Amino acid sequence: MKKALSIFMMLMLLLGILVACGAPERETRSKSPDETKNKDKTAEEAKPEKLIVWEDIDKAVALKPAIASFEKEYGIKVEFQELNMADKMRDQLRLDGPAGKAPDVVTLPHDQIGQVVIEGLIQEINVSDDVLDTFTESSVNAQMYDGKLFGLPKATETPVFIYNKALMSKAPATMDELYTEAKALTKGGQYGFLALWDNFYFAHGVIAGMGGYVFNQTDNGLDPKDLGLNNIGAVEGAKYIQKWYKEGLFPKGIIGDNGGSTKDGLFNQGKVASVMDGPWAFQGMKDAGIDIGISELPTLPNGEHMKTFMGVKGWNVTAFTKHPYWSTKLIEWLTNEENAKIRFELTQEIPPVKTLIEDPIITDNEGAKAVAIQSQYAVPMPNIPEMAEVWEPAGSALQTIATGKAEPKAAMDDAVKSIETNITTNHPSE
Amino acid sequence: MGMKKNKMIRLTVSYLIILLMCVVIIYPLLWVIGSSFNPGQSLSGASMFPKNPTIAHYAHLFNPEKSNYLYWYMNSLKISIITMISTVILTSITAYSFSRYRFIGRKNGLLTFLVLQMIPNFAALIALYVLAVRTELIDTHLGLILIYVGGQIPINTWLMKGYLDTIPKELDESAKIDGASHMRIFVQIIMPLAKPIIAVVALFAFIAPFADFILARIMLRSNEKFTMGVGLYEMVAKQFGNEFTTFAAGSVLIALPIAMLFLCFQKYFVSGLTAGGTKG
Amino acid sequence: MDGINPAIKHGRNAALLSIIPGFGQFYNKQYVKGFIFLLLTIAFFASFLDTLNWGFWGLFTLGTIAGLDHSIFLLIDGIIALIISVIGLGIYIVNIYDAYNSGKKRDHGLAISSVKEQYHNLLDSGFPYLMVSPGFLLLIFVVIFPILFVILLSFTNYDLYHSPPAKLVDWVGIQNYIDIFKLDLWRKTFFGVLGWTIVWTFVATTLQVALGIFLAILANQKDLKGKAIIRTVFILPWAVPAFVSILIYSGMFNESFGVINTGILHAFGIDPVPWMTEENWTRLALIFIQTWLGFPFIFAMTTGVLQSIPDELYEAANVDGATIWQKFMKITLPMILFTTAPILITQYTFNFNNFNVIFLFNGGGPAIPGQNAGGSDILISWIYSLTMTSAQYGKAAAITMLLSIVVVTVALWQFKRSKSFKEEGMN
Repeated sequence: MKKALSIFMMLMLLLGILVACGAPERETRSKSPDETKNKDKTAEEAKPEKLIVWEDIDKAVALKPAIASFEKEYGIKVEFQELNMADKMRDQLRLDGPAGKAPDVVTLPHDQIGQVVIEGLIQEINVSDDVLDTFTESSVNAQMYDGKLFGLPKATETPVFIYNKALMSKAPATMDELYTEAKALTKGGQYGFLALWDNFYFAHGVIAGMGGYVFNQTDNGLDPKDLGLNNIGAVEGAKYIQKWYKEGLFPKGIIGDNGGSTKDGLFNQGKVASVMDGPWAFQGMKDAGIDIGISELPTLPNGEHMKTFMGVKGWNVTAFTKHPYWSTKLIEWLTNEENAKIRFELTQEIPPVKTLIEDPIITDNEGAKAVAIQSQYAVPMPNIPEMAEVWEPAGSALQTIATGKAEPKAAMDDAVKSIETNITTNHPSE
Repeated sequence: MGMKKNKMIRLTVSYLIILLMCVVIIYPLLWVIGSSFNPGQSLSGASMFPKNPTIAHYAHLFNPEKSNYLYWYMNSLKISIITMISTVILTSITAYSFSRYRFIGRKNGLLTFLVLQMIPNFAALIALYVLAVRTELIDTHLGLILIYVGGQIPINTWLMKGYLDTIPKELDESAKIDGASHMRIFVQIIMPLAKPIIAVVALFAFIAPFADFILARIMLRSNEKFTMGVGLYEMVAKQFGNEFTTFAAGSVLIALPIAMLFLCFQKYFVSGLTAGGTKG
Repeated sequence: MDGINPAIKHGRNAALLSIIPGFGQFYNKQYVKGFIFLLLTIAFFASFLDTLNWGFWGLFTLGTIAGLDHSIFLLIDGIIALIISVIGLGIYIVNIYDAYNSGKKRDHGLAISSVKEQYHNLLDSGFPYLMVSPGFLLLIFVVIFPILFVILLSFTNYDLYHSPPAKLVDWVGIQNYIDIFKLDLWRKTFFGVLGWTIVWTFVATTLQVALGIFLAILANQKDLKGKAIIRTVFILPWAVPAFVSILIYSGMFNESFGVINTGILHAFGIDPVPWMTEENWTRLALIFIQTWLGFPFIFAMTTGVLQSIPDELYEAANVDGATIWQKFMKITLPMILFTTAPILITQYTFNFNNFNVIFLFNGGGPAIPGQNAGGSDILISWIYSLTMTSAQYGKAAAITMLLSIVVVTVALWQFKRSKSFKEEGMN
């Protein structure tokens, strides 16, 4: 009796709650979609009082003068916050956006664009062709996804050849020369050349240079169903990579996740004559007191240049902004020639602005010039979400190749099989 | 004679083992300390006794124009101390109830929470974030402290309850007959006897916030509100060119307050029941 | 009126009237109490009606308009509403129960407590509840709430292509659980990873527990000098944030340049060991590191607990001529386990899911040809890299739940066996 009674009462209460549960009035809780979506983005948007920008860590020095001049020009205040671009920018936008704390403009590495567009975190921008023409073509392509433009390029980077002038007089033109030189230099804890070729980011230069590719480039963009990591060229590349490890030119200690730190340490102690590394490494090497020379990477045995991965950091307008027009205006301003030049001077990041690349400020700078030249041979990292499935299988394959546990052909075949399965499981094609 | 010889052997063996353990413990820590005095930024170039040691990394940390480290340090100390005090209070009263009273949920309540805490909480971070946004506790130290304290309760309550169970109930009962209130028995009779375990709980509660960077990284937004865990993690989280040596310097400074606190608590660790509790 | 009349069922009447909180108490002439219940109810609805309405709507639908409704936020609001309702329901049941009890008392012709008596009653029998409730409330939000979220998430299709704000998330029932078992990817590697996970959990944890207890007893010997210093040194590994130590260790274990190969082993004339590229060596190193990282916690805890063992026990044992080993097995160990067994069990489950040390030391590596898990990957690190790199949140939640069920079952089983639990049952 008692039990039945209490059950009855609980049901009553539940019913009461359910009855009260109509579809709530949502307009009071958040803004209507029409408010932002249907607005004509090209004009007539009221000037906002301020815009908020998220900038990469330690890079705001280059942002400050640009936003000062922007404020002067348009009377719009710009506030900024520094956030780690590699992962925190995206993760925080994902949370803060819907919570109503989103910025108007963020900076993201271009290889995240596919993903954040699908999630609806950033929006397409309308920029005139005059503006787009100021950037190199490949850097603009990197900001495109699904045929639409989602940002403007802020800076590019790609691995180059860095050598210790005390140990190597000049950069070799070919890998064969480098190989001979490395053979002579590598002894007694000294190394002639080091590269993290068990990491797909760096190994791509060799593999693609020999004829491999990740996804086939078609007229409609990248085709995630056409993988080229186990074609003849790729396997040749993998064999070439294995040779360096097998012959003891690369020590086992630079294999694995923490190999990068080991390699940096060795170079900074003056034990390595040359390395393959990105422009982010220059400053640390100089700080360590190494007199470095920088050039594009030597050509591969097949005569081709290394097709390194190019990373393009871009400025993107978030999907949450109420001021898409002025946000777009702001990123145009941030990437114009004058501000791009300031950025290069203050942070050494290399903006892919055509006029700037020919400017003496870059052509007279060894590092920047090397990156600019190498960029001509580089391919942008794929920015489609399927790329997320590539890194791990490819990295594992390369590691087993480096440690000699697997034959290049078999390892690459395995990797491709894994990637294919992962793509079909996790990325159902519409 | 035999007794004495036995004792000698026992003590000698003990000291030898302790010495060996000390070496195993301290050796890697010397590397942390050593690398914090190394010039350059990377880990592997560092050596335990650098040829040209530098305090540049410490100077960098303590230069308010270059880093917010001093803020982080103060924040961490503040959060840890408040967490410690709140945890000790909450845990004590909860453990006392579990040890001395009968009520619904007594038998399985604690275990349920101990078990529930085993569930990995990757996805839980999003949930806690939104909860904090809804309650406007995001980017506040209060929100973080509440989570730390909550997370500490089950395990510490269990530990303390186990200890309190060994304190004879006759003590409370005789006090009750003398007319002491619930609160008085708890504060004046039980708590002083539980010092060793309170010291342990306090230590646990103090250390946890120092080591955490995952929760704090989600809950805190502005750089000057960061804790040391977050601040230091950001230093090494950079994909390329991380500042390992500066980070090592920061870590050395984390270990200091913890070691000091532990030294302070030493005397409580040994003032157990034997100090007169059982004999009344 | 309130005489001995069994025909009048005050208990039932009061309980029925309590459907509207407070009225049962009014019926029992407990006006103050009734008023409090009524007020509480009104306040509850006044302040939470909106939250509840919104929350339950969101929980059922997960939103209806993409871009406007954020399914995940709605899900969380829904859970908050659910928790609030359960608390409300709890108070409601107390209200009915109270009215019923008072009514029952009247049925039996007993006097109903006066306000003052009620107050004292509340203070006396309610004291433990009063003491426990702040901690309990905090636990609901810090522990229960996130778990509810993970459970519910595992029944949704939340992944990259169903991601708010662009898209809505939908309830998909047990689809995720079905999909998990259908995945080809896993089969080949699963048992290898499972095997290592079990070895890892068991060996690493047992070592750290045994070492912690052993050292605590060692350092607790009465005639040992310098206890303060020894104890402080022993907790040092814990004072340095674990991720720092792990990174330092990964440098020390470097095959070509780490001090372990080039310094220590070299001094003994031992050839370099492939710590990072041969899976079994990596595993050995990991177990060593985890023991180093984990024992201070056990050490500190045991040191505290040891103080609760009365000296008399040892004195009596000495009189009986017990050896050190006998004293340890018969007195020390049972006393330690009595208090700490469940916490030791949590150490095992912690290591079962110990993502950090595996990930930071060698990234789960070394890579092994032909399999998609690294040589030192444990279940949790492997599964998360399979699901999280491609943003399969719903599936990740489902797997988390499956793993949790295993872990929780084993833990519960162990709890039931542990002595402290049995003793608990007896008193």
